Amino acid sequence: MAESEAIDGVVPRSVVEPATIEEVAAAIRDAAERDLAVVPRGLGGHLDVGGPPRRADMLLSMRSVSRIVDHQAADMTVRVEAGCPLSRLASTLAGAGQWLPLDPPGSEATTVGGLLATNLAGPLRASQGTARDLLIGLTVVAHDGALVSGGGRVVKNVAGYDMPKMHVGALGTLGVIVEATFKVRPRPALEAAIAMACASPEEAGDLALALRDACEPLWLEIVGPDPAGSSGDLGFGESWSVVAGAGGVTEEVRDALARYAETGGARVLETEVPEAAELRARIADRTLHPLGATIRAATLPTRVGAFLGKLSRSAATRGVSCRVHAHAANGVVRARLDGGESLGALVADVRAEVENEGGNLVVERAPPGVKRTLAAWPGIWGDPGPGLGLMKRIKSTFDPADRLSPGRFVC
Amino acid sequence: MLPSRLRERLRGLVGDAGIVDRREALLVYECDGYTLERAVPDLVVLPATPEEVAAVLRVLAEERIAFVPRGAGTGLSGGTLPVEAPVMVCTSRLQKIESIDLANRRVVAQAGVVNLWVTRAVAAAGLLYAPDPSSQTACTIGGNVAENSGGPHTLKYGVTTNHVLGVELVLPSGEVVSLGGAVEERVGYDLTGLVVGAEGTFGLVTRATLRLTRAPEAHRTFLAVFDSVEDASEAVSDIIAGGIVPAALEMMDGLILRAVEDAFHAGLPVDAGAVLLVELDGPAAGLDPQAAQVVALCTRRRAREVRVAADEAERALLWKARKRAFGAVGRLAPNYCTQDGVVPRTRVPDILRAISAAAERHRLRIGNVFHAGDGNIHPIILFDERDEDEVRRVLAAGREILEACIALGGSVTGEHGIGVEKIAQMPLLFSPSDLLAMTSLRAVFDPEGRSNPHKLLPDAKVCVESRAPRRQAAM
Ligand SMILES: Cc1cc2nc3c(=O)[nH]c(=O)nc-3n(C[C@H](O)[C@H](O)[C@H](O)COP(=O)(O)OP(=O)(O)OC[C@H]3O[C@@H](n4cnc5c(N)ncnc54)[C@H](O)[C@@H]3O)c2cc1C
Repeated sequence: MAESEAIDGVVPRSVVEPATIEEVAAAIRDAAERDLAVVPRGLGGHLDVGGPPRRADMLLSMRSVSRIVDHQAADMTVRVEAGCPLSRLASTLAGAGQWLPLDPPGSEATTVGGLLATNLAGPLRASQGTARDLLIGLTVVAHDGALVSGGGRVVKNVAGYDMPKMHVGALGTLGVIVEATFKVRPRPALEAAIAMACASPEEAGDLALALRDACEPLWLEIVGPDPAGSSGDLGFGESWSVVAGAGGVTEEVRDALARYAETGGARVLETEVPEAAELRARIADRTLHPLGATIRAATLPTRVGAFLGKLSRSAATRGVSCRVHAHAANGVVRARLDGGESLGALVADVRAEVENEGGNLVVERAPPGVKRTLAAWPGIWGDPGPGLGLMKRIKSTFDPADRLSPGRFVC
Repeated sequence: MLPSRLRERLRGLVGDAGIVDRREALLVYECDGYTLERAVPDLVVLPATPEEVAAVLRVLAEERIAFVPRGAGTGLSGGTLPVEAPVMVCTSRLQKIESIDLANRRVVAQAGVVNLWVTRAVAAAGLLYAPDPSSQTACTIGGNVAENSGGPHTLKYGVTTNHVLGVELVLPSGEVVSLGGAVEERVGYDLTGLVVGAEGTFGLVTRATLRLTRAPEAHRTFLAVFDSVEDASEAVSDIIAGGIVPAALEMMDGLILRAVEDAFHAGLPVDAGAVLLVELDGPAAGLDPQAAQVVALCTRRRAREVRVAADEAERALLWKARKRAFGAVGRLAPNYCTQDGVVPRTRVPDILRAISAAAERHRLRIGNVFHAGDGNIHPIILFDERDEDEVRRVLAAGREILEACIALGGSVTGEHGIGVEKIAQMPLLFSPSDLLAMTSLRAVFDPEGRSNPHKLLPDAKVCVESRAPRRQAAM
């Protein structure tokens, strides 16, 4: 197999590309009979997320299982196969004035299955939630090739356990996602954003919460300065910026921007940035393709400013370049850390900081060599908390032979 | 009968105030809001703290005794009915709101905290707890978590699972696990997401971390009056398809309207075929254009009148009428039961036709008051439980309505849960491998099947069909 098929440096022995859900099931049955470890792949945009696989015998490409099965525009639901790229789904939905309001990093290279397996989310989570909030039904192929569904096609449904949630963010370790049903939303008639500059991350954190309280934002991001020597990716330069997005009918958007401008006062850089939706996507993509590692930290919204301060100072001390942004209303920080000798020590240090306050920090992505080093210490995941015992039991129940993406997740 | 030694051990843990074992007192616990089946537990235990819950469950684990968790008993699917489970563990003394973090919009509440108390505790700060079941003045956070409850405003704001960030769960083994927490990302599988909606079959939830929502700055609330249910339901489809997301979109038909008006004198049009209660909310700036659109859509579907609530008092009265509709129905017949099916929202007209056909076929009176915007129906079937034949017809009509929901691409429950009531329909919704996956998941949390046994999942041991109607659920 070609190196290009490698997952964190592990080159799979075979690549299978089924064309239908039935063929996926047949491939998994075959893998079960031959005791092959299976790692699913969508467009490959997020294969660097997660732990390095312990083994990867069969790379299961989902690219051709990609139909939009049923878009019921008037019901505002869509059923779609896992290999469908988000961009194709988006254009179908846009035809009806709708969207699936999830904007993960690398959206252009993301399939529906990849989105669900990685549980990545972007700026829109401030108002729209994450994949778990929009997913209403899911079908997976289980370790033995059986098709297993949960949820359904209606927007409200409590029949049986909420099995779809089990697979969201599970990195394919409990089954291969083949089809998903989402509730979709009307796309706001208008999206706009306002940008402000702050002198410090702490000030940015406070300002962001003041903006949240002035008017619920569509999205709300803190964007750290461009690292020295890097080409500025967003054009905000040296300062700590806060960008608030508003969406809705014209009156609503105007009103929101006016309130933000008043709250920001002299710190307002641009009362209305051009191409707000595109800026939002570029912010989400800010931490892709790390040379070192991309980390994701979750803390409380009120702690974001202090954490950003601590992170950027620790990085600077260690000679690590840090390109960072935060979903300020959600308390989620993403940083791309490049260069420097002591990446591991930096991760350990800032992880301790957030874990002490009840948060968590994971190494979201890294090139293979770096990832192996970090996996050995301080670890990809940090402390999964007291639920780890139950998680191990779930894994051994749903993948008794440990053949579904082994090693990729916490257990 | 429970050995008296066990009773005394439990009494030792929770004291006299935490034990109910007198026959008359136990009668209170024989059913929840689903009254078609009743069974008296042998013993009710009322722990006063999460730690006492854990101690009680450890003793029950040692003695291999099955138990039923219970909150306020407002459930509508028989989730608290004891079926081969002699002990009921009730959370009504776990009433503390343990922490409120306004800036981060988080609350930690014990399981027995009543839903509305959370909103009351944070209202002054302009916040609320979004899931608002109509029973919110009585039902508990623990019950809400177990059922993944909804409510009128969950159309826009989402149901319980969208607002629960973490839970503390006492496993049936007595082990205490804290899952999720105050932050929005987790490491590992979404265990909190699995516990929400598990109907008490994974153990007993003692605490939950809830997300608060900003209270809307403004509302536009109106009542659209229609001559027919058909017109009203077509208007529902048009509003949803028009790209409007109302905060709530509720329907009441003529039978319900008259019952509610008799009870509350809210000025409802008693000669109408149906009304829609529509609420838009958010910053005032965007509301009027949307309100105009809603009014136009209703008028196009021949609404004979669209009344706008002039002030907060009028709005409150409309909501009181809606939220207490179930209670008002109590005046129309000695008993009622309600179904909770869901259909794709554009199929609301079809399911309402199926409901009225079932009413006719089985000579029953059925009223409708429901979450129309979500396609979540609540046909209320009136009956007299002393009439055995009528009870049989009620059960048959209920079954037919649920099967019609499935045939329309829907589900048998949108928010009330499977409980004991809808177990027979589970195999119609799910394949054997779907059900096997659920059974396996259950065994992860409760390998001995001692927490709320014989609920939610069909099992070989209890043949559901033979139990109804009026089976003796007790051991
Ligand atoms: C008039 C009326 C209106 C209603 N309106 C709505 C509505 O709009 N939306 C809606 O969704 N529901 C509604 N309901 C149904 C009901 O109120 C909800 O299901 C509610 O969440 C039940 O809460 P409870 O505290 O009464 O739970 P209970 O009825 O006591 O228990 C319900 C289930 O939860 C389990 N349980 C309870 N507490 C715990 C715990 N701490 N840990 C684990 N398991 C537990 C029980 O074992 C049982 O299976 C209504 C009911 C009535 C009577």
